[in-house]
Amino acid sequence: MIFNRFAREARACVEAAVQEARELGHDSIGDEDLLMGMLRAGEGVAAETLSSLGVTLDGAREESERMASDALSSVGISLEDIRREAGEAFDMRIPEGRRIPFSPRAKKVLEQALRQSVRLRDNRIDAEHILLGILNDEDGTAVRILGRLGVSPEMLVDQLFELRGREAG
Amino acid sequence: MNEKTRTRVGGPEDPREGLEAVVALRRTLEALEAAQVENAFIVGWSWAKIAEVLGVSKQAVHKKHAKRIRDKYPGESPGRKGRRE
Repeated sequence: MIFNRFAREARACVEAAVQEARELGHDSIGDEDLLMGMLRAGEGVAAETLSSLGVTLDGAREESERMASDALSSVGISLEDIRREAGEAFDMRIPEGRRIPFSPRAKKVLEQALRQSVRLRDNRIDAEHILLGILNDEDGTAVRILGRLGVSPEMLVDQLFELRGREAG
Repeated sequence: MNEKTRTRVGGPEDPREGLEAVVALRRTLEALEAAQVENAFIVGWSWAKIAEVLGVSKQAVHKKHAKRIRDKYPGESPGRKGRRE
């Protein structure tokens, strides 16, 4: 697997994505979980890029939840009603023992991260390459979440390279 | 009527939201099942009785829920042999 090319920062981001997916009850790790993992790990140029444009972990979580809630409303189901009626035991969290697979989209993002790293001759994969991988998938859930937060892929890519340049110089 | 149904499930112009609803519902269903099984366990229902109402085997319910619930309520053992509901 490509994980052995991942530097510590990128691993932290992926591990946080797994935790995030588990807590939110996502039965597969999606590209949006990679985004939230990145915000949760909060390391490196990637996290700096996101936070400098006002993207926060709480904001991303809220939008992700709202998208699920809107989708359910569109078929006549109220997530809020279910929550309210189900009582205290209701918890979206996926139990510790259960493995959560990566979604095809998340796998594609991680492959893209490798490609971006090679393209930039960076010799290793950091969170910023994962971010570029996420932004490359314009149809992805993460990009849609970012859009709802008022941030476009172009804005993020520009900001990322600006910060990279500053760090290098 | 066909048209009405179509509109209600999102319509062909937005299949994505309809499909996303399925995903959200599947995840919600899992959480709802976990909560309802937990509630039944707390009030003393046996695994056999829970399984019967869910329409699945006792083994299936046990495998899916027992560890999580026992970890959450250590020392409690509703559903032990001979217990009556």
